[in-house]
Amino acid sequence: MENALFYIFAALTLLFAFLCVANPFSRNPVTSAMFLVLTMISMAGLFVLLQAFFLAAVQILVYAGAVMVLFLFVIMLLDIKEEERRRFNRFAIALGGVSVIGLGFILFSTIRESKVGAGLKLTAVKGSDTAALGKALFTEYLLPFEIVSVLLLVAMVGVILLSKKDLK
Amino acid sequence: MNASLIGFEIAVILLGLGLLMLDLWTPPERKRGLGLAAALSLLLVLVATFVVPMPQDATGFSGGYVFDPLALFFKRFFLVAAILVLVMQTEFADRIASGISEFYALVLFALAGMMFAASANNFVMLFVAIELITVTFYVLTSFQRGRQASLEAGVKYLILGALSSGFLVFGIALIYGTSGTMSFPEIAKGIEANHDLAHQGLFLLGIVFVMVALGFKIAAVPMQIWAPDVYQGAPAPITAFLAVGSKAAGVVLLLRVLLTAVPDLAGHSAKLLMTVSGITILYGSLCAIPQRNIKRLLGYSSIASAGFLLLGLSALSLNGISAILYYLGGYLFTVLAAFLVICIVMRYTATQDEDISVLAGLHQRSPLLATSLTLAMVSLAGVPPLAGFFGKFLLLKAVVESASNPDFHSAYYTLGAVGILGVVISLYYYFGVVKAIFWSKAPADLSPISLSLPARLSLYACIAGMLFLGLYPAPLLDLTDGVVKAVFK
Repeated sequence: MENALFYIFAALTLLFAFLCVANPFSRNPVTSAMFLVLTMISMAGLFVLLQAFFLAAVQILVYAGAVMVLFLFVIMLLDIKEEERRRFNRFAIALGGVSVIGLGFILFSTIRESKVGAGLKLTAVKGSDTAALGKALFTEYLLPFEIVSVLLLVAMVGVILLSKKDLK
Repeated sequence: MNASLIGFEIAVILLGLGLLMLDLWTPPERKRGLGLAAALSLLLVLVATFVVPMPQDATGFSGGYVFDPLALFFKRFFLVAAILVLVMQTEFADRIASGISEFYALVLFALAGMMFAASANNFVMLFVAIELITVTFYVLTSFQRGRQASLEAGVKYLILGALSSGFLVFGIALIYGTSGTMSFPEIAKGIEANHDLAHQGLFLLGIVFVMVALGFKIAAVPMQIWAPDVYQGAPAPITAFLAVGSKAAGVVLLLRVLLTAVPDLAGHSAKLLMTVSGITILYGSLCAIPQRNIKRLLGYSSIASAGFLLLGLSALSLNGISAILYYLGGYLFTVLAAFLVICIVMRYTATQDEDISVLAGLHQRSPLLATSLTLAMVSLAGVPPLAGFFGKFLLLKAVVESASNPDFHSAYYTLGAVGILGVVISLYYYFGVVKAIFWSKAPADLSPISLSLPARLSLYACIAGMLFLGLYPAPLLDLTDGVVKAVFK
C-alpha cells in the first residue's frame, strides 16, 4: 500500500514539475504557477509517507499557500504576454535535452546498482516530530539557523534596493 | 556551544547592521565616508585576530563550526580583501545612484558569510554560508540598476547560481541519505568503519554534485560560463570581491570537503581534478587572448587562476595545499591592485566601455597607477620576482613532486606541462595590457589623475604585498606550511 502510494505521489510530482517548466499546451505563467502548487502538494504527500506530518503541513501552508500567492502577485504585476510570445532557441532545447538525459541516465544507473540505505542506522523520532524538529533547529543547528536570519535581512535589503523607484 | 568562537563574525555582522542604522542619521554628502569608517573598523577586527587569544583547534555549535589555523588564515584573508574592497567602493561611490550605505553593508554581510564558510564543518553550515555569500552577490552585481550590463550580470549570476545551489542541495541530500550524517569528521569516520560507503555510487554522486557547486564558486570548467559576463557587468569593486573573496571561499570549502570529509576519496578523484584543472587553465588562458574589455579579460584570467588552484589540489600532497594558500595570498594583493586601478581610471574617463585603450598614457596621467597595474599584470603573468611567480612556481613544483606516484606518473607530468603552457599563453595577454599603458599610439586624454589618501595607501599596501611575497616568500610559506600540517595531518 505504502509502496503504491509512493509511486503515485512520486509520478505526480514529476509530472506536475514537468508541466510547470515545459507545458506543451499553455505558455501562460499563471498555469505554470498552478502546476507548481500541485507539485508542492504531491511532495507533501511524500512527506506524509515518510511520517513527517509537520513538514507535510508546513509544505502546504507555507509553500503551496503563502509563497505561491506571492508568486502569483509578481506574475500578475509583470507583463505576461511578453513571456508567451518568446520563442525557444532550438540549440538551447537540444543542449538542455542532452544534459537532462545524461544526468537522468547517471542517476538512474547509480540508483539501480546501489543498495539504498544499507548499513544505515536510523533512529526513530521520540515524541512528536514537531518537537524533534524544533529541538534540532535550536540546539544542533542553532548557528546555521541564526545565519539564515542574516541571509533574510540581506534579501530584504536587496529587494528594496533593486525595486524601489527612487532612493536617496 | 561556545559563542566566543564566532566573535569576529559577530563583530562584522554588527558593523553591517550599524552601517544600515547610521545611514539614517548621516547627511547624503557624508555617506561616502561611511565606507572608510567601515574599512577602519574592519582593520581593528583584523588586528583583533592577532591580539585576542583564540583556541588552536576548537569546535563549537555541536561540531558544526571549527576554529583551527586554516579557518583563522582564511578569516584574515577575507578581512584584508574586504578592507581593500571597501576603499575601492568609496572610489566608486559617485557612480552609484542611490543606496551607498547598503552598498557597503552588503559587502560586510558577504564577508561574514565568507568567514563562516572558512569555519564550516558540516554540510548545513557549508550550505548556509554559501547561500549568504551568493545571495548577497546577486544584489551587489546588479547594484548599478541604470546600467543594462549590470542588470544582465545580476540575472545571469542569479540563474546560474540557483542551478549550482540545486546541485549542492541534491548532492548534500544524497550524501546524508547514504551516510546518515552531515558532519565532515563523522562522514570520514563512517567511511573508515564501513568501506562499502566509499564505493557506493550514490554517495560518490553526492560528492561530485557538491564539487560541481563549489566549482561554480571558483569558476572552474564546466561551471565557468557565468564568470566573464558577470565580471564585466558587475561594478568594479564587486568584481574584485567576487574574484578574490568568493573564489577563496569556494577553495576553503573544497579543501574541507575533500580533505576532511572524504580524505580516502581524494585519491579516487585525482583523475577528475587533474582533468578539470588542465581544461580550466587552457580555457581561461586561450579565451583571454582576444578580449578587449579589461574586466572581461580579468574574468578569463580568473578562470585560469581557478585552474591553477585546482592544480595544487590535484597534487594530493600537503605541499600542494600549502602552495594553494600561498598562491591565494599573492593573488589577493595582485587582483585587488588591478581592480583598484581600473576603478580609479574609469572614474576619470568619459567612456564607460572599459576598453583596454582607456589605459593609454596612464604613466603620464598617474605614475603610481601605472606602476601598480604593471606590477599586478606582471605578477598575474607569473614573472619573477613578484608574488604571482612564487605562487605558480610552488603549485607546479607540488605537481611535479607528485609525479613520483607510479599510478599517475605521466598524468602529473602532462598536467605540469599544461600549467607551464598556460603561463606562457598568459604572458601574451597580460603584456598586452602593459603595452596599452606605455606604448599605445596617441592617447586622447592625458589629464592627470589625483589620488585620494586611502586609495594611495591601499595601492602602496598592494605593491608592498606583491613585492614582499615575491622577494621574501619564507614568512608566508612557513605560515602556510604550519597551517596545513596542523589541520591535515
